[in-house]
Amino acid sequence: MTAPATMELYVVLNALIVLALGYCLVKFSWNQPLRNGAGFFMGIEVPTDFYRGRGRTWLRSYRATLVAVHIVLLAALGASFVFGRPDLTPIWAGGWAILYTATMTTFAVWTRRKLGANPPVRPVALALESRRLGDYIFWPLEGFAAALVLFSWWVQLRQDGAQVHWLTPLELTWIALGLFVMKIAAIRTGYPLPAERTEEHYRYQDALRRNSVRTLSAWSWFIVIVLLGTTLRRLSPLAWTAPGLWFTVAVFLVAWGYGMLATFRGQRLAATMGRDLRPAGSFATPYRRAIWTSRSYLAWFAIWFGVLMVLVCFSIR
Amino acid sequence: MFLTLQDNDKRPIYQQIADGIKALIARGHLSEGMTLPSVRQVAGDLGINLNTVAVAYRQLQEEGFVTVRHGVGSVIAPRTPHPAGQSEVLEPLRTALTHLVLAGLSAPEIEEAVRKELALLQQKGGAQ
Repeated sequence: MTAPATMELYVVLNALIVLALGYCLVKFSWNQPLRNGAGFFMGIEVPTDFYRGRGRTWLRSYRATLVAVHIVLLAALGASFVFGRPDLTPIWAGGWAILYTATMTTFAVWTRRKLGANPPVRPVALALESRRLGDYIFWPLEGFAAALVLFSWWVQLRQDGAQVHWLTPLELTWIALGLFVMKIAAIRTGYPLPAERTEEHYRYQDALRRNSVRTLSAWSWFIVIVLLGTTLRRLSPLAWTAPGLWFTVAVFLVAWGYGMLATFRGQRLAATMGRDLRPAGSFATPYRRAIWTSRSYLAWFAIWFGVLMVLVCFSIR
Repeated sequence: MFLTLQDNDKRPIYQQIADGIKALIARGHLSEGMTLPSVRQVAGDLGINLNTVAVAYRQLQEEGFVTVRHGVGSVIAPRTPHPAGQSEVLEPLRTALTHLVLAGLSAPEIEEAVRKELALLQQKGGAQ
């Protein structure tokens, strides 16, 4: 058995990423505006004849934006190979998440501005069920992940002595920490339930919440495994042998695959459960702004994202 | 179980929350020992101020419908029936009847309305 070359690994990894992106584009993103049925565009209520008139233009614009984003991203991925920097793939993956989210959020905001936001639901219902972190998070597993992160740092600091390669572990730890906070935010966040079909809306909201936690956990584990993997590669010469490298690659791919599966499952669930429910989530409740648009939440996100960008800039340097 | 806040209700939000919880207790949907969601959760879900929910919970606590247990939160307290005829208990009824009379309802209409509301409460087997 021969050890895989770094370039071969990057080719396999990128082929998988392109496949997953293609699947997402065709299966979930393409018809996203129609998710709530013919009476809605991107969750905004539209007239019944909307898709016989200007709705077609809106749908075309949405799809053109989607395709443009993917072309830019694929070009960037290709460029990283052409210029001999396939090692920038992880940064590209982060860049993909940022560009995609920013573009689609801008499109959603633009849509609301032009087509009009749905008014907040009235009257509202409140579920009198306690939502505790322990109902959604399995603490022993979180503790185990934290122990692995601490172990990785301990090994890094001991192994390298004065020459600590701190940048990558710091980035990974920062991302894992951010994902953990996002999990807590996902559990704490809720929006007022409509007084009609309240039970279904409640179950839908709770299913989405559980799925967000599951997806974030899957990606947290991926990050922890990458951190542990990079640490063990420093620790043991065994990791540099062919079986060691293949094993590491296999573990990474399994963790990545699990993360992708959790993401796909979440998309499918949201599409299925929310198909015939009137969109209830909004930028505002009847009383004030929705919790996820609160100043404290946005300030936290800005700090987390800012620090991450600084670390990424150091990496590229 | 769910508590609905009506759009056209003139009562303050804290009062609607407190009254809604009392109604659920009366109907037997909320029974002794059940935990209410935290103040933070209710405020976050409805998008209202923490203090608004805290006032509602404090009112329920003062009226003996809820007790606060450390580490658990707000818990529905056991129901202690008041002796019939106690002026304090009947006072809200007098006020409500006054409102109905002033609204122009006749005595049979008021009796019918009271019977209906009572039947609604007893439907779930909550009122004793």
